[in-house]
Amino acid sequence: MSKLRTRPLVRLTALAAVVLAGLCALAPVPVQARTTHLIETGSTLLYPLFNLWVPTYTATHPGIRITTEATGSGTGIAQAVAGLVQFGASDAYLSPTLQRLHPGLLNIPLAISSQMVNYNLPGLNRRSLRLSGPVLAAIYAGRIRDWNAPAIRALNPGLPLPHHRILPIHRSDGSGDTFIFTQYLSFSTPVWMNATGYGTTVSWPAIRGEIGATGNPGMVQALATNPYAIAYIGVSYRSAILKDHLGQAQLENRAGRFVPLTGSTVAAAVAARAPHTPPDQSISLVFAPGANAYPIINYEYVIVKEHQPSRRMALAIRRFLEWAIAPTGGNAPSFLNRVGFAPLPAQAIRQSRRQIVKIH
Amino acid sequence: MWFRRLLAVFSLLVPLVLLAIAVFLTYYAWPAIHYNGLDFLWRETWNIGNQYANPVHRHGETVMPGARFGILFLIVGTLGSAFLALLMAFPLGLGAALFLSEVVPHRFGHLVSFFVELLAGIPSVVFGLWGIVFLIPFLGHHIFPVLAGMFPFIPFLARPTGSGYGLLTSSLVLCLMIVPFIAATLRDALRSQSTEMREAGISLGATRFEVATRILLPGQKTALVGATMLAFGRALGETMAVLMVSGNALNYLPHNIYSPISTMAAFIVAQLDSALADPTGMAMRSLAEIAVLLLVISFIINGAARLLIGTLKEHTL
Repeated sequence: MSKLRTRPLVRLTALAAVVLAGLCALAPVPVQARTTHLIETGSTLLYPLFNLWVPTYTATHPGIRITTEATGSGTGIAQAVAGLVQFGASDAYLSPTLQRLHPGLLNIPLAISSQMVNYNLPGLNRRSLRLSGPVLAAIYAGRIRDWNAPAIRALNPGLPLPHHRILPIHRSDGSGDTFIFTQYLSFSTPVWMNATGYGTTVSWPAIRGEIGATGNPGMVQALATNPYAIAYIGVSYRSAILKDHLGQAQLENRAGRFVPLTGSTVAAAVAARAPHTPPDQSISLVFAPGANAYPIINYEYVIVKEHQPSRRMALAIRRFLEWAIAPTGGNAPSFLNRVGFAPLPAQAIRQSRRQIVKIH
Repeated sequence: MWFRRLLAVFSLLVPLVLLAIAVFLTYYAWPAIHYNGLDFLWRETWNIGNQYANPVHRHGETVMPGARFGILFLIVGTLGSAFLALLMAFPLGLGAALFLSEVVPHRFGHLVSFFVELLAGIPSVVFGLWGIVFLIPFLGHHIFPVLAGMFPFIPFLARPTGSGYGLLTSSLVLCLMIVPFIAATLRDALRSQSTEMREAGISLGATRFEVATRILLPGQKTALVGATMLAFGRALGETMAVLMVSGNALNYLPHNIYSPISTMAAFIVAQLDSALADPTGMAMRSLAEIAVLLLVISFIINGAARLLIGTLKEHTL
């Protein structure tokens, strides 16, 4: 018993030590004069790209230190609004209400991402299945239950589809991937738009066998371990999909054609949709017109406050963002190819520059 | 004198912090408590509303259109998984405690005890990862179908067995996490009983089993109840491991033991990022309402455990 009694004291001491250590770590560390510290937080999709950018950029800009965090788009937006971070990374543009509530907030595209629809169909993963928005919406709404349902067979004549229940996987955390996937379903299928709509989290219709997964790695894991499952996954995770020998669907675009996710189909979608980008750059690129356009692509945004606490901070932010969107800087293929992103088109670069100069 | 005062300040600090957290959370969650009303507990839809539409005014609060918050599916998932975990963990923990205190020689017992305590100290995320990588594929592909095949007549055990993510998997992981807790507490309680009791029992011709079940355990009712309640409390509040293996069901009740579920604690983590993007803040406040509810439940469980222990002590004396 005596051993038990002493334990709270030991624990308390340990706790006190941990708290003290934490306080010491938080205490202002003497930093080099004139070092500007920028913090990025938010989208887990943009995070790998930032991690490629930062070492290269800071190596040539000694006065700048940039910390990156992968937290999620919602956190990125919220912390940028609160002024806790300089860059809030988000896969989704700011909602009209957020823009009205926080007039000095900019959303600036840094690159273009795209999304795959993947499946785990034993024996058929090497064949690229054809799927459409309405069929995916019916699967995620529970109206199509089996892989050999007439609607799927009609899109894939000749494929030996199994009579097996489909296990739809969706993100259970708030996610930009959910945002663009549900936009594809909403824009292509009015029934889905009216019943569920789009957002970083939606009220998914309840389906037997559905799986909720956390983060893109969780989606890949859930798909790999569950035969007959289907999932939507960010293009940055393509190598993981290839490694696990999972299938990747061709998706029906607005023109009614089935297109695979390639550099040229993404470029076609960008060419069709990007010219309509308004000056504040809040636009969805999903379900673009054009015969060869891939239907699920999006701008990856950084959320920045127009008004910064100091000139030096504003200058550091402007310089970094200018570099990030430049075709010879952060938008160079050497960076983007490694995460599967596409570069911003010339017009978007001009618009982003016009937004960047507002930061003061 | 100063030492006493210092200690008084320190000892007051803990309850004050607890009170401050409770007051702050309730204050923050108040608009949600007002907006959601009692339906919060009975409704099974959680919908943060259309974030890209214009906010609307309903019941005196500003919310996004379509925003409705109900957590019945979370309450069922939380209580169900914790209860099932306790059902499995109690006999295991009791058996381990009896084994450690009554059966094995002390030297070997120390070694086993060390491992039991080690198990109790493993961070829950490790359990979660092990659950995802090993337990889920193993259970989902090999164990659950067999289990469902053996008991097709029991509704909650019958097919479909799903993917492996779900209620039973969460309960198994939770069970592993609370077994060492029950075992260690009961072992200490059993060891604290005098050797004379055991000797007296054996001299009367009782077997070891009879000594354990008729003499030692009845004397430890308070420890049994206390350990069980606290283990239940721990299972209710466990977040990370459950988040990883529960399947994170949204808006529906489990239809059998294999169904995906979500628990209150795990749901707060899973929905935090989306809730932060809600410009009206109602989603965040509703998450805070869940936190308030968790706080209340843990108060109730700890209070009930103390009450029970109190009454049991009176009876045994």
